[in-house]
Order: sequence, then structure tokens, then C-alpha cells
Amino acid sequence: MDHLDLETLIARITSTPNPRTLNDYFRSIPADTREVILASTLPSGQDPLSVLDVRTNTLGVVYILSARVTVHGAVPPPWQVVDSFCHNFDREQARHAPERVVILGKNLTRLALHYNNPVASILPLRALIQRYVPDPSYLTSMHPQFLLICVCHRRFSDALPFLNHPITNIDTTDMHYTDNLIYHYVGGIALAALKQWSNAEEFFEICVTSPGLTPSAIQFEALKKMRLVQLISKGKMCPLPKYVLPGLSRMFKDSPYSSFVNAYPHDIELLREIGKKEKGVFAADKNMGLIHQAIDRAPRWALKKLIGTYITLNLADIAREVKIDSVDQVREMLLNMIESNEVSAQISASGTVTFSDPPPTFTQSQIDQLLRVAQMQSSRLNRLDMDYGRSREYLAKAVKYDGGSGGGLGRGGGMEEDMFMNTGPFAGAGQLDTYGGGPHASQTVWGEESMFGS
Amino acid sequence: MDVDLPDETSRSTKPTFVPVDDAHPFDLEAYISGYSGRTAIDRLIHIVRTCPAVAPEAFKLAVELIHQWRDPSLYQTLITEYERLLDNTTARESYTLPNPLEIAQLDTKWVDEITAKNQSEKVRLEVELKTYMNNMIKESIRMAHRDLAEFYRSIGEYQLALRHHTKSRDFCTTSQHVLDMCLSVLELLIEQRNYSHLSTYVFKAEAALDSTTAATGTNGGSAGITAASTAGPSASAGNNTNAKRKGPTEKEIVQTRLEFATALSHLGQGHYEQAALAFLRIGPAKELGDWIGKLVTPSDIAIYGTLCGLASMSRSAIKARLLDNSVFSVYIEQEPYVRELLEAYVGSNFKTTLALLSRYSTRHYIDVHISSHVYELTNKIKNSAVVLYFQPFSSIKLDRMSKAFGWNVETVEEHVVNLIQSGEIQGRIDSQNKVLYAKKTDYRSDLVARTIQVGNEIISANRKVLLRMRLQQADMIVKPPKGHSQPYGLAPEGYPD
Repeated sequence: MDHLDLETLIARITSTPNPRTLNDYFRSIPADTREVILASTLPSGQDPLSVLDVRTNTLGVVYILSARVTVHGAVPPPWQVVDSFCHNFDREQARHAPERVVILGKNLTRLALHYNNPVASILPLRALIQRYVPDPSYLTSMHPQFLLICVCHRRFSDALPFLNHPITNIDTTDMHYTDNLIYHYVGGIALAALKQWSNAEEFFEICVTSPGLTPSAIQFEALKKMRLVQLISKGKMCPLPKYVLPGLSRMFKDSPYSSFVNAYPHDIELLREIGKKEKGVFAADKNMGLIHQAIDRAPRWALKKLIGTYITLNLADIAREVKIDSVDQVREMLLNMIESNEVSAQISASGTVTFSDPPPTFTQSQIDQLLRVAQMQSSRLNRLDMDYGRSREYLAKAVKYDGGSGGGLGRGGGMEEDMFMNTGPFAGAGQLDTYGGGPHASQTVWGEESMFGS
Repeated sequence: MDVDLPDETSRSTKPTFVPVDDAHPFDLEAYISGYSGRTAIDRLIHIVRTCPAVAPEAFKLAVELIHQWRDPSLYQTLITEYERLLDNTTARESYTLPNPLEIAQLDTKWVDEITAKNQSEKVRLEVELKTYMNNMIKESIRMAHRDLAEFYRSIGEYQLALRHHTKSRDFCTTSQHVLDMCLSVLELLIEQRNYSHLSTYVFKAEAALDSTTAATGTNGGSAGITAASTAGPSASAGNNTNAKRKGPTEKEIVQTRLEFATALSHLGQGHYEQAALAFLRIGPAKELGDWIGKLVTPSDIAIYGTLCGLASMSRSAIKARLLDNSVFSVYIEQEPYVRELLEAYVGSNFKTTLALLSRYSTRHYIDVHISSHVYELTNKIKNSAVVLYFQPFSSIKLDRMSKAFGWNVETVEEHVVNLIQSGEIQGRIDSQNKVLYAKKTDYRSDLVARTIQVGNEIISANRKVLLRMRLQQADMIVKPPKGHSQPYGLAPEGYPD
């Protein structure tokens, strides 16, 4: 390979129509020379980015951009180009070099900081991620970065397009386990700030229940916030799924949060006292806001319990039962609850409250919607099950298990394999090759199985 | 006796005394004549403790009975209880309590005699045991242990008695022996009121009982040989012949005793429903043999069974299992008011039920076994009565309820509110007009609402589990930081607010 300079590269970029070849070419250049060349400017002093089009030359541009934001001493790319790239790049091309996209995404904030406008990176980064992921259920390592900017600058609603789509898939490019934890933890904070309690709770729960060998500090913080959010939205704790790390619940029990949760909602005096006594801890965890909201809402849960018991009650009686001093406060709270549809009640002029509970109503479309979701779920699970059934890991394990045990178990397994034999030629044959075993390897696998098959 | 001590102190802190007057009749003489031996003294001591009105009389009777027994330490317990009563101001003010020494005194000569006799007996039995141990005759060792255990039991050394009983277990050669040992231990534990251990020995006894009956069943003719070979001049030989002569009833006798022990153990631990069922399984009184009087009277069984049953069973079950139960009816006959109580309850005559309960509360409180449960049992009966009463109504004035129960409106409201909040009454109160309404549930929409909720929960749980699976596949697992002594994962550099 002869001497390389940026001009050659630009020529290569513009003249190679196939992104795969181009990507292979870039990869063939030694990394350190490549980055330096990509980060340089043309001999004429012209910015190479001005020569390229962000859409047709997406792959080249992303290589240059990602080099320019990382190489020390390089000229930062102009913001307009970055912005326009984020909104307009070609998905197909970009997916050939996911690691470059991630580098760019992760450094976008720094670039914005360089231009003294940190908030400016929010929208381009969002566009970049949205265009980059195959569908919104994917989590990339750029997500947590994006949420952190949003939350740091209190631009919570900008994060909603992501937060409204639950994550079910992982894009593993340059991904670390903390990325998942931070995404769900920060996402929970954003949703809690927007008072979308049930979504916030779910985000915190995902963070808390993420798989692990030891509890992470982020998970513990998420657990504390999750409990408080539950108190605010439901008035009580909900049990954690059983796959949660046992260490976490223990840590929670030893914290002052535990006594707070236990005193909720009936003992308002004690709640206030705990709030005051442990103020240092709560404030250090930045949870004072949630604590106050929880305390403020405590009488509502007490009132709800009364509604289950009484049809009519005097405002004064309510005040006594829920431990609020003035009747006016009770009236205010009650009106507030009636307005927000939490209870249905009538207050008469004499101060008598009559509760009623209208039966829940459902529309046909609601039920149809539910059925559709359920059908989608089941077909998705079926597909997943079949995918697993023909996956290399599963088959390897099934064969190994069979070979080891033999006897009665072997016969049971054999039936299952017969099924695979049948589906194999239609569904599995094409797949088996792509799993990398090659025709010879798959031959031996099947050969071995047929030994146990009958 | 050290197992008993904390129990006594905890009870003595309870300042309530039960009255004996026209509204709460109680005949001490008639009551105590049903018991014999140690339990009579124990019961009298309990009466002294709880019931100052008849305390002097009970004291006198107890002293008399102690003289017929062989444990002078009982007098000490008795006098402590009586003096505690004297120290209590409420008791002193409302009842005339003469000086204990004026009522009855312990015969010091008798004390000396009996102590000496106990001592020589003890030495004799221990020497016997030692000889047998040297000769290594299993059967004799077992009997020596048994005799020593019986002796210690009679002088109130429960721990030693239990120890010797358990030691004799190692020398048992047939399951009949094991069974005898278990029954003796059960007697001991009941006397000691050690309810939590009862079930262990009941279990052991049942296992032994099964193998005994299996052995007699299969061996048939050869049973005589086993009896002869294990024999010697022993009580177990008598037992064995006994078993053969009576045939199946031997098993029933043991079974009835075991049921009684089980029932007491459930009662003692507050499992009223199981207790009631076990009491109802007890066979006729004669099957309990010498346990009647020595530990319990038929009227006790009637009271225990009835109270537990009323507190825990449904009305139809009470009718079928208590009233229409021919075996249990015999017990009920012993205490006529128990039948009245049951009939009033089954006939929904709750005012009478509650009146009877309160009228005979003294009788219940002075009983050693049920005393600490009477309050809770009565409460449960009251609650289920309220629930039963409300069942047929869709709305009712609290005023009317208060008349039916003989309470005032506030008490009724308090009861009802508690029951609603514990979920036992499906209803709501109109506190302005003092009316209780039954909750009308629209089951169809309720079902739809629940289905929708469950569906949504499952969907979100599925999603979370799938994500978790993906995370595991991608190896996104929280790992302990390498080379870090800090036990938790790395915190991110900066938290947002």
C-alpha cells in the first residue's frame, strides 16, 4: 500500500458505491495512521466535510466525524454538519460501522460543550439514536448519555420518545452493564419528575432486577426511589419479583427508608419525625422531594381505606380519622381527589360526605385492544421459543445432555430430536450453515443425534 | 417447674380478676370434686390466682389436698399466690381475704414425714436402677427408669421425670414400651402445660401405635410368645395381655388419648380450628381411662370443644359436628349450659349466646388450659356472630343490631368497622344515619377489571423477563469490581438530581 493522504481517502469514499467494500477498506488501514489522516484537513485548508454529502457518503462522514471528535488536537467539526448528519444520515451505510456511530454519539455532548451550548446536543443526539436503532425496542450505549443530558438540564419531556418504548433488545456495540442500569435509573428519575408514576416504577424495577452477581450502588439507589414512588402512586409497597438479588432487600431493610415505608401511610406523625430525623440521609440521596410528596399524600390512602368502610361520613370525622387538623384541608384534599377521579363522592352543605363507587366501565375497543396485545405477546413468545429451539447453543446443550445421561432420559430427549429432524430440512437447514458450523459440522451434529434418536 | 415460672409471672401481671356472684355463678366444690391428684391442686392454685372471691375456700381445699399428696413444695407455690393476692389493692378492697394461716396450716409433722419418705424412696429407686444397670437387664433398667420418672413426677420434679422417661426410651424393646413411654410423657407435659412439645410425642406415639397394631395383627398366635419372652414381673406384660383381651379397643383408647393431647396442644398454641376438630375426634369418655379426673373432666372437654368450635367453625359445621355428634353429645350433657349456648348460637339467638358466655366466663377463666384463650375465643365468637347476623340483610340499622346483641350502638359500630376493615363483612356503614349496607358487587365487571389488570401485569412481567434474558445473553451482568474491596458495584460518576 503506497502513501496515504486524505485526498486519496476522499476519492475512495466518493468512488466506492458499496459501503461494505469501503468499510473493509477503512478497516484494512492501521488504526493510528487512519485516525490521524481522517482528522486532518485537506492540503488546500478546506474542511473535507464540506466536500462530502452527509447522505450519500454517510459511511465516510461518520468515519471522519468520529475521528475528528476523538483525535487530540483535531479541528472540531462544524456544528451544522454534525446536526445535519444526525438528522439525515443513511441508516444502511451507518450500520456497517456501528462502533463509529457510537463514538460520535458519545462525544456529541463534549462537542456541544466546546461550542458552549450543552443543551444543543439533545435533539441531534436523539435524532442520531432514533435513526440508528433498527426499532425503538433497542437499547444502545448512547441512550444513557442522552438521558443524562436531558435530566441534567431538566428537559424531561425530550426524553419521552425513548421512555415510552420499553426496552427489550440490546445493541451490544461498546456496551457496559452500567449503561443498562443508568438508562433505567435515569429514565425512572425523568418519569418520576414528569409524575408518570407507574412508568417510573417500572423503570426503577428493571434497574433493580437487572441480573448480577453483587448488588450495584445504582440498583440500591433505584430501589430506594422505587419504594418512594410506590408509596406516592399506590400507598403501599409491592413485592419484588423473586429474581431480585437478595442482598438488595437486606440493604434496604437496614436503611432508614425501611422504617419510613413501614410507617406509611397510617402514622403521619412518625413519618414526619422520620423525615426530620433522617433528613441528612434523604437529602444526600436527593430524595427529599419524593419523601415530601409521599408524606403529603399519606392522608389520601387513609381516606381511601375509610371509603371502603363507610358510605357517609362527616368531614370532621374524616379529619379525625386521617389525622388532619382542619376540616377545610380535608375538604380541599377531597375535592382534589374527586377532580383527579381517584374517588367519587359528594359533599353536602352540612359537611356530610357521601361516597359512591361507580362500577368500572369498559369499551369494546379497550377489550379488543387488550386481546390484540395478548395475541401479539403469545405469537412473539412462540417465535422466540422456536428461535431458541434451533439455536446452536440449545442444540449443542441438548446433544451434550443426551450423550451424557443416556438411558431413560435419552429416550425422552430423542422424541424432541425427532421433531427437530422433521423441521430441520424446512426451517433449520438454511440457518444451520449461517451459524458458522459449515456443512461438515452440522453433518456430525445430526449424525450424532440420529444415534440417540431412535 | 422452671418451665412454668415465666408463664405464671406473665399471667400474674394481668390484673383482671374474675368475679363470682349471682350473675356469674360458680360452685367450687362441685367443680373440684371432678379432679383428683395433682391437677386438682394445680387447678386450685390457679383459682386462688384468678378469682379472689373464692380464694380462701380454694386455699383451704388445696391445703387439704396437699396433705394427701406427696409434694410439700406445692404449698409454697400456693401461699405465694395467695400472698400476691393480698398485695393487690383492688383484690383486698373488694373481697374479704383472711390471713392464710388462719384458714389452714400445713402440718409440719406431715411435711417432715413425707420429706423423709420421699428421700428414702428416691434412694431406693436409684439403687435399684444402679443394680439393674450393672446386671445389664434391659427390661429392668427400663422399668427402673420409668419408676423413677413416676416418682419425680409425683414430687413435682418435672425436668428429672422427663429425663428419666427419655432415658428409658433407649431400653424399650417393643413398640408397646415406646407407646407407654410416650403416653407417660404426654401426661407429664399436659400437667406441665407445655403445649408446644405435645405434638412431638403424639407423633412418636402414633408411629409406635401403628407398629404395635401391625405386630399384633400379623403375629396373631405368636403374640403370646413375645409377651412371654419379654415378660418378667412387669406391667408391660399386663399391658400386653390387656391388649389381647380387649382387641381393637386398646388402639382406640390410645387414639383417644392422643387426640386429646393433640387438641390441647393446638388449643395451647391458639390454633382453634384444629383444636376444635381434634376435640371432636375424641372417643367416649371411658376411653380416656384414668386421664379423666387425673388430667381433665368430661365437662372440660365439652367446654373446650364448644368454645373452639364456636370461634372457628361455620354454623352448619357446628350443627353437624357438635350438636349432631353422638359421642360429643355425651360430653355436652355434663354441662347443660353448653348445650344451651350451642343451641342459642345455631338458632341465631345471639343475645342469649353472649349472655351465656359472660355468665359462665368465670367457669372458663378459672380453667388452667383455656384461661388464657377465653378473651380471644369470646372475641372470635362475637365477631362471627355479628357476621352471621348481618348475612341475610342488604341493609340494617345499627340500632336494631345493638338490640339483637345487647350492646350499645357505639360498640356495634366499632365491631362492624373492625370487621369490614379485616374483610370479614362485605359492607359499608352510613355513619350519619347509622345504617349498615351490604356491598353490592357487580361480579361481571369485577371479573373483567381483574382480567384486564392481570393481563397487563403479565404482559409487563413478560417484557421484563425477556429483557433480563437478553441482558444475560449479552453478558450485561453486574459484576463485583475487580481488585476492589468495596462490596458494591461502581457508582456512576455523577448523579443527576
